[in-house]
Amino acid sequence: MTLNAQATEPGTPSDSQGMAIVARTQSQMVRRRFFRHRAALVGMIMFGFVIVLAFSSIGFAGIPGWWDKTYLDTGPLTNQGKPTLSLIPEFLGGTGIHLGEHPFGQDDIGIDYFALTMRGAQQSIIIAFVVGIVATLTGAVVGALAGYFRGRLEAVLMRLTDVMITIPVLVIAAVVGRMMGDSGALVLGVFLGLVTWPTLGRLVRGEFLSLREKEFVEAARAIGTRPSRIIFRHILPNTIGVIIVSATLGIASAVLLESALSFLGLGIQAPDTSLGQLISRYRSAMVVRPWLFWWPGMFIIMIALSINFIGDGLRDAFDPRQTRVRA
Amino acid sequence: MIVFIARRLVISFFVLLAATFIIFVLTALSGDPLEDLRQDNSPNKANKIADRTERMELDVPIPVRYLGWLGRIVRGELGVNRDGQDVAPLLGHALSATLQLVLAATVLAIVVGIVVGIVSALRQYSGFDYSVTFAAFVCFSLPIFWIAVMLKQYMAIEFNNWLKDPGIPPTVIGVLTLLGGLIFGALTVGDRKRRLLAFLAGAAISGALFTLLSVTRWFADPGFGLPLVLAISLAAAVGFTVLSAGLRQRGPLYAALAAALIGAVASQVLAPMLVDPTWLEIIGLALVTVVVCVGLGYGLGGFQRRQAITASVLTGLFTGAVIFLDHMLQAFASYSKVVRGRPISTIGARTPNFAGDFWQLNLDSAGHLLLPSMALILVSLATYTRYSRASMLEVMNQDYVRTARAKGLPERTVVVKHAFRNGLIPVTTLMAFDFAGVIGGAVVTENVFGWQGMGNLFIKGLREVDPAPVMAFFIVTGTAIVVFNMIADILYAYLDPRIRLS
Amino acid sequence: MTTPNVPIEPRKGDVHTYDIAPNVLDASGEVHVGLTLDAVRPPSEEEILKVDNLTVEFPTDDGVVRAVRGVSYSLREREVLGIVGESGSGKSVSSLAVMGLLPKSARVKGQILFRGDDMLKMSARKQRSLRGRKIAMVFQDPMTALNPVHTVGDQLAEAVLAHELMPRKSALARAKEMLDLVGIPQAEARLRSYPHEFSGGMRQRAMIAMAVINNPDIIIADEPTTALDVTVQAQILEKLLEVKDAVNAAIVLITHDLGVIAGMAHRVLVMYAGRPVEVGETDPVFEEPRMPYTAGLLGSIPSLENSGDRLRPIKGTPPSLINMPAGCPFSPRCPLADDTCRTAEPELAETDSGGHFAACHHWDRLAAVEDPTVFFRTESETKA
Repeated sequence: MTLNAQATEPGTPSDSQGMAIVARTQSQMVRRRFFRHRAALVGMIMFGFVIVLAFSSIGFAGIPGWWDKTYLDTGPLTNQGKPTLSLIPEFLGGTGIHLGEHPFGQDDIGIDYFALTMRGAQQSIIIAFVVGIVATLTGAVVGALAGYFRGRLEAVLMRLTDVMITIPVLVIAAVVGRMMGDSGALVLGVFLGLVTWPTLGRLVRGEFLSLREKEFVEAARAIGTRPSRIIFRHILPNTIGVIIVSATLGIASAVLLESALSFLGLGIQAPDTSLGQLISRYRSAMVVRPWLFWWPGMFIIMIALSINFIGDGLRDAFDPRQTRVRA
Repeated sequence: MIVFIARRLVISFFVLLAATFIIFVLTALSGDPLEDLRQDNSPNKANKIADRTERMELDVPIPVRYLGWLGRIVRGELGVNRDGQDVAPLLGHALSATLQLVLAATVLAIVVGIVVGIVSALRQYSGFDYSVTFAAFVCFSLPIFWIAVMLKQYMAIEFNNWLKDPGIPPTVIGVLTLLGGLIFGALTVGDRKRRLLAFLAGAAISGALFTLLSVTRWFADPGFGLPLVLAISLAAAVGFTVLSAGLRQRGPLYAALAAALIGAVASQVLAPMLVDPTWLEIIGLALVTVVVCVGLGYGLGGFQRRQAITASVLTGLFTGAVIFLDHMLQAFASYSKVVRGRPISTIGARTPNFAGDFWQLNLDSAGHLLLPSMALILVSLATYTRYSRASMLEVMNQDYVRTARAKGLPERTVVVKHAFRNGLIPVTTLMAFDFAGVIGGAVVTENVFGWQGMGNLFIKGLREVDPAPVMAFFIVTGTAIVVFNMIADILYAYLDPRIRLS
Repeated sequence: MTTPNVPIEPRKGDVHTYDIAPNVLDASGEVHVGLTLDAVRPPSEEEILKVDNLTVEFPTDDGVVRAVRGVSYSLREREVLGIVGESGSGKSVSSLAVMGLLPKSARVKGQILFRGDDMLKMSARKQRSLRGRKIAMVFQDPMTALNPVHTVGDQLAEAVLAHELMPRKSALARAKEMLDLVGIPQAEARLRSYPHEFSGGMRQRAMIAMAVINNPDIIIADEPTTALDVTVQAQILEKLLEVKDAVNAAIVLITHDLGVIAGMAHRVLVMYAGRPVEVGETDPVFEEPRMPYTAGLLGSIPSLENSGDRLRPIKGTPPSLINMPAGCPFSPRCPLADDTCRTAEPELAETDSGGHFAACHHWDRLAAVEDPTVFFRTESETKA
């Protein structure tokens, strides 16, 4: 992947005559391409909506939200716990657009299911982001060092990734989940991140291997630039596209990984909750009270899908091959 | 090549060894193996704890425990779980079911994924391409357990109910007709008129097909029969010839048609043998098919001998598969009676105490495999589709593809001979990663469908902080991954001569 | 002799210079090749290819790229026509259009007549039957133009089998003959080699063998030596001439290397911003350029003859093909430009007899001086 900064040199004589191509910096081009990507825009809006809804409704970290029920308190079971949310306006034969007492219904002991789902979404999003950030930072640093310095570090990284290929992510994550599941979302996320970074590390190493041979790096070395400066100022910015895209997709798969772990009973432990745990807890309710199954599922899909769309938009935006024309 | 494989084997062995150490240590550290006993209130609590401590060697350091485990493995023992049960018999049951599931899902995902991905790339920016891309994104974002539970509800319970009276309601036929038309239309490139014609043709064909299936109650007693087998194989013969050699010369076409014809005739001649065959016989028949087809291609191929052999072998094997499927379908009615009209199973890997002939047994495992594989396959399918699409798009822009066009080669040859093989090269590197992912998915899927499989062994062992079953699971899956990895490497070397020689 | 001499593709913003290998130029400024144009059979009068008012446009996200804007030329049997220009001048695109190899998104207009038949109006099948059989192409980068997963023999034989019905063995025999012809030693064994086992020069030879294997009437060579070592360049060009003579083909030679054209081409077509700006017999065009751009190009070549002099590069960059300035596209960089140049684009008009055409309002001012590159004098020269 090459990232051409297509800025023309300012001050060439032709500029004044309106002949030069409009100069755009790389970030401007990336932004332009990203916002032209329709799916990515939809993803952004969808993801923004879920985040705002999840964190503003029941509040977070002691800050109260606008929803008056919590995910821990039980209440009287009304209407067999059926959802009261209605989206069909009256003139179409529905009961009008309103939330009602329990928009997503109630679970079998009367906990408001909207609050429960929001709490689950919060936990899933936190874990996914922590996993994404930890894995990206670790992977990028190790990959960069291995790719730049080669030698023993590289050998270790390569063997480590070989080992990680042999262990399915879910398996190692399950073991980590068994260990850390009851220490809360943050800790679990950090530890999951620490076992999922090698893929990105390998990717970054590959980028570094090819970039370290490029002329601009050689030039920097020739004038005696410190390795740390070469790595962080010269090479890393050129791999930022790969890293961002892979981080985004990593977050999306972390959402699914976390929910699968919780489903297996190896993730977040009760009384706290997560989307996967909700599905696991109520999977036998599919026939009798399907909403207990549907809502968390819908939210997992919405979160994962929107992040995947954003990742795809970023990939297109960072990869100029898309619009290249042979002339 | 042998050196290459041997070196890979040695490396893989050490990698696997390192992985077992990591898993063992992490599992042993993952919790308190005596947790349940500590809450025990029975008078012999202390005894129980002492028992288990001794059995699991909880008083020795973990690395020493690992070495003990390793020593037993070398002697071929998998050890005992914390209750003193031998792990080997537990594994025995689980093994074949899980491997079947994982392999079925992987092979299906690879074949379908690559085909869809390539068609999608060749029809870039068509309706088909957009739909496939969107579907792939949805698949990436579906939690596997969620979709498994959904499948259980809708594909098994309601499908079985429907099979009692398998008429397709008119509205559903209408939807399917529309869908068929849309698929045909989306696959066609050209102006609006051409696409409209394709849409109408597709709609007409699927409409007629589903109406026929509904009216004849085909699903109650399915099967093809000789005429349909023949028709399908002959169509396949033409298809494979177009793909491998084109229709400019007759040789390859005749070879492929002959393969289809001989296959169909053979199915009648060999009917007595096919009443209750064994797998060994089926494999033997497949080999005979290949030999005969190579002969056909060689004899009839003319100037295009190589392509003729490809076309006739593919046709022969495809015809064999159709005949196989036909026999399975014909056993459906009797099988369905045995399982009281619920052929799609939701629990376990096989019907307990089921006995039947070859076809019924196969149908039984197929019925049990169907839904878990469907749930399991989605992510892999999406991955292979996206990957081969991207790879193919990349390859189609390469200079050598332009060179191939500049020679005046027909587009078919450009795609099949020059682009396809190069496009597959990066896909092989995906196989190893993906296979590990499928095994992870299998753990979840087995859980949903209540298989007493490998996944169950693993999860239960992990919950009880009991390394022996966890390690048994890992030894098997890890070896499978290593083997698969190696197949991918060999495939890579086969596809890319640059790797082969270095 | 280790001077790196591969011509550098100009980047936007660079001051563009043409540089060619001094070590392949002799005192007369011609390329040193063992076989010269005079030694091969001369062109006949019969016209085999006529390109008439060809335009090619690519719709992109940023607007329509007008890559080729009205190119016309003709090619006689056995003739070598050189097309020169910077990257982005449309020289490659116009020849890909002749081959029918442009991406589907390209909008192609005009006429491309091969022996009187318009290739743009032909059925895809008929066009394909000409491609590789009557009109063959040698690409710029032999490193990527051969398929890495098939043997060289297979790729050569395939070119024959695409157009002729014959056993594979005979096609391979023909392939061996061709490898012999282009001077690849041990041709028989080399048929079974893969491209990565060949050096760059050998691969380009194999590409030439592939181009002539069906005895084509026209070989389009798109910068065939740009990606090669300087020492190999001359050999490849010589081989190209030799092979052309062996199969009696005409050559369209696309390059940005004026030295190559001087030694290899009967006639030359200079392109700028998607249009031809000067056409004519090679010698008159190089000796008496009638378009400032051609003069500028000639001024930027280092040569042994005037090795003490300063180079006289053309300042500025070629225009964007999306927002073409009004008037003559060269006017912003042209020392002769005045208001006429900035408002009206000059047509290609005959300047001298013998088919010398140029598109310039002020060609007579070039004709009036001894050394037309004088207009591109650098400031330091002017002061001195």
